[in-house]
Amino acid sequence: MTTALAGTAEFRTLLEEELGLYLEEEDLDRPLDDFPDWDSVLLLRLVTVVEGVVGGRIPVADLLQVRTFRQMHQVVTDR
Amino acid sequence: MTQAQHRIPSPDSTAAWHDRASLATLRDLYRAGKLAAEYGSVRALLSRMPRADLPAAGQLLARLDLEEVRRHVPDAPVVSVPVTGESTVAPVVGPLTAELARHGLLLDAKVAPYGSYLQDLMRPAGTAQDADLMLCVLDAHTVLGDLTVPWRAEDVEDAARARLALISSAVRAHQQAGRGLLVLNTVPLHRHVTHQLVDLRCRARLGAVWREFNSGLLSLAAEHPGVVVVDLDPLIGEGVPAGEPRAAQYARARLSEPLLAAYAREAAHIVRARLGRTRKVLVLDLDGTLWGGVLGEDGPGGIELGAGLRGEAFVEFQRVIRQLASQGVLLAVSSKNDADAVSQALRTHPAMVLREHDFVHVNANWKAKHDNLRDIAERLGLGLDSFVFADDSLFECGLVGEQLPEVAVVRVDDEPALHPGALLADGWFDLFELTEADLERADRYRTEARRQEFREDVDSYQAYLDGLGLEVTLRPPDESELARVSQLTLRTNQFHLATERLDVPQVADRMAHPGSYVIAVHARDRFGDHGLVGVLFLRRDGEVLRIDNFALSCRVFARGIESACVAAVLEFARDTMAKAVASRYLPSPRNAAFAAFYADQGFTPVGTDPDDPDAVFFRHDLRDIAPAPAHLRLHATFGPDDGDRT
Repeated sequence: MTTALAGTAEFRTLLEEELGLYLEEEDLDRPLDDFPDWDSVLLLRLVTVVEGVVGGRIPVADLLQVRTFRQMHQVVTDR
Repeated sequence: MTQAQHRIPSPDSTAAWHDRASLATLRDLYRAGKLAAEYGSVRALLSRMPRADLPAAGQLLARLDLEEVRRHVPDAPVVSVPVTGESTVAPVVGPLTAELARHGLLLDAKVAPYGSYLQDLMRPAGTAQDADLMLCVLDAHTVLGDLTVPWRAEDVEDAARARLALISSAVRAHQQAGRGLLVLNTVPLHRHVTHQLVDLRCRARLGAVWREFNSGLLSLAAEHPGVVVVDLDPLIGEGVPAGEPRAAQYARARLSEPLLAAYAREAAHIVRARLGRTRKVLVLDLDGTLWGGVLGEDGPGGIELGAGLRGEAFVEFQRVIRQLASQGVLLAVSSKNDADAVSQALRTHPAMVLREHDFVHVNANWKAKHDNLRDIAERLGLGLDSFVFADDSLFECGLVGEQLPEVAVVRVDDEPALHPGALLADGWFDLFELTEADLERADRYRTEARRQEFREDVDSYQAYLDGLGLEVTLRPPDESELARVSQLTLRTNQFHLATERLDVPQVADRMAHPGSYVIAVHARDRFGDHGLVGVLFLRRDGEVLRIDNFALSCRVFARGIESACVAAVLEFARDTMAKAVASRYLPSPRNAAFAAFYADQGFTPVGTDPDDPDAVFFRHDLRDIAPAPAHLRLHATFGPDDGDRT
């Protein structure tokens, strides 16, 4: 794992800069249903961006099944 | 700069034009919550942003609240685009937002639910607000969706035929309902499909069947004037992956993100054409752009053109430009050089493809290029927003971009083999249908130069008008002229009193409507034929004849043609027992100069639009009709008087 996304702060910055989604640290544990703007299109964009950053493949199907942004962060860093 | 330095290639030369900091600046604005308020600067930021960064920029721009953005850039046109398609089509919104923002346009996208395109196409008219155009994004699943395993090439053939028939009838329904411009695309054939057939003969058959389907889609554009089909093959041929298997599998997004970005660029140019923003003029630098070397140092015999590998590449680039010119793009030169040397090189160099007469103006001098561009615009009577400027100098490109943000700047670098790709990377000159007026445009502007010489020879403007021998003819357009009439409504910005953009089917619809008249204006003089230069849209409304719209090409302003047209309409109204003629001026960003036109023609302002106080309604009671100007001969035919005056 590169250090680029190691912390949740970096992950939140990436969500904001790439997807325009601003999150506080405590939002990471809220269910994704609380974010009406979140959809699979944003997730696809996230896959492209994260794979560009980490230079490798992330498991997309796992990513589609997470319930919170923290779990999402775990999927993209846990490789 | 020495020749040697001039010719050293630098791999970063395009990177220097494309500014990698642009995206960071945009992100900073977004994070600070200022992007909507600073939207006015977005177009400039995007103009030099590397192409690969545009989807990321679009992602942020698409998240802004449209109403808030509009408050900050009230003059930016909003383009309403329903997006439908075979699969998940929402990923096109980000890239399209960015591509439209590059042209100063705001996107109001309405994304249809998954797979609803047939219903969307066949929905009756009038259920939704009129959209500027509809995107219907198709992909391989359009053909393969109903296939079951095992399948053979013949099964794909059957499926493709059935699907094409379905799409064709849906498109026909969409067009017959008059729902406006429809954009379709060809569908890519993926290797993971072809290689499921191990029999090489069958695989070839599948390829042929697939092309038949795409060919059928492309033919829809020939069948319906209101349909555009974007061919994805050339976009994929640039090295863009057609699909991403995981996105296709898990999110049913079956065209890759980069392919959708390339598609969005094409779509944005279709929007530009629809809004009358097709560029008309290409202004070229010479040294390093049309030939290699420096004319002033190397002399006409020493420039790189024709001979040598790079010399051949410059010839090839000139051929591409000539190809554009043959389709109505006006060429001009702005070069820091001595005029005599340039003239000699253009006339005598044996390998020169573009000659002096191919350019409407050659501005070879030592003045700033933005001043030269202004000068060329003024002499052509065209706005700078119809200009494209190409130069190899970073400095000149930067300066023109800064001084004249409305000009599209194409930076070519020091590799002439890449010049054609750079020039064609954007469809700046894309239009729906070439008309005779396009093909004759350059000749017309050259004739105009002779007119200007004559004007400088005579003592007064009136003497000039008297000597022109102007002849103006008003009559309904014939079938072959409908494209030109549509084009006038699409492309005329200045003398366009109600700025109503109509495509060909809409024009035909107006002509067919009882009590409605479409009148084409033709003009000629002793120097040549101006062709179809204007159009009037008239309508009977009880005892009143309404001028719904009036557009006149800027080439023929200030010669009394506009007054002659009004005189003809007033006389026609009186002769057909109308009580009055009503007209309207609806303001647009470019037609303010003609706000008082109807008042000057003897009309009385009778009211304004409560929503837009600048929109003025006029009325002429037909009691005192000024005759057409005496210096021109007027012929007017309005067609059958089928108005219902009860």
